[in-house]
Amino acid sequence: MSVIRQLLLLVGLAFLPAIGQALYYRNSTVWQEQPPTDSALVSLAEAESWGDKVLWIDARPDDQFVRGHIPGAIQLNEDQWDTLLREMLTAWSPERKVVVYCSRKTCNLSHEVAERLRKELGEEAAKNIFVLRGGWEEWEQRHH
Amino acid sequence: MGTATPLTSVRRPADFIRWTLVRRGLGIVAGAVFIYAGGIKLLDPLRFASDIINYDLVPWSVAIRLAFYLPWLELLCGLALVFQRLFAGALALTIGLMAIFLVASVITKARGIDVACGCFGSISGNLSFTWHLVLDFVLLAILVGLWFQLRRPPCAPAITAG
Repeated sequence: MSVIRQLLLLVGLAFLPAIGQALYYRNSTVWQEQPPTDSALVSLAEAESWGDKVLWIDARPDDQFVRGHIPGAIQLNEDQWDTLLREMLTAWSPERKVVVYCSRKTCNLSHEVAERLRKELGEEAAKNIFVLRGGWEEWEQRHH
Repeated sequence: MGTATPLTSVRRPADFIRWTLVRRGLGIVAGAVFIYAGGIKLLDPLRFASDIINYDLVPWSVAIRLAFYLPWLELLCGLALVFQRLFAGALALTIGLMAIFLVASVITKARGIDVACGCFGSISGNLSFTWHLVLDFVLLAILVGLWFQLRRPPCAPAITAG
């Protein structure tokens, strides 16, 4: 069988289970035009209204953090988790509201960092961990 | 005179066996990677769709459809590579998928978007973008190597000169 035929056969075969799985999800909200929102998302205005209670966490890579970040933000990303977490914990206390952000609305590094923080800091602290809607892009637009 | 002199452009039987084993081994390794990558995404298509939308290249309606389709394609290609069925087709597809993914990753990174590739579910969250690229290039190199190996002429009988 030629390469093209093999290729087409594989492409076609993959449709069968994919259609089956999609039918299983047919009544789900996943087909909506926007991705489902995270209940722990917080708007910039709301986060700023918390004032000094907020501990900003920048989940972006080093180079982006160096180029600019929210004043007072502490860097925490998966690349250097252990080192950066120690630094973050020196500034953190359970009553502070932690707001994690990454570059923009559609990035998900902030969600991953927030999820990991919730696991590592425990259930009580998890209630005070949020993800900034719009991320750094939103903050930059508002303040520049 | 009368001495058998195999030509260097064709494989000797020993080479053929060796390359068959290498091909088999690399096929299993590459196939296992795709089976794992496809399997983990199948379990959580919504998360994979979120990873796709992260690249900011397609709308959600496309991302969610891709999230239901691509994992099955990866899984099938992985199985084809492991079991050496539809092997050439699976190689061509996986090379294409890897190339598209690498180009999309680099473009997205160049646009300043901090992408999480979503290649291996939550495990890939612990890898930096650079490590993702390194691993993806290694996988692509294996696939391309297998492709060219497949295209070489098979074992031929010794040809005598003179």
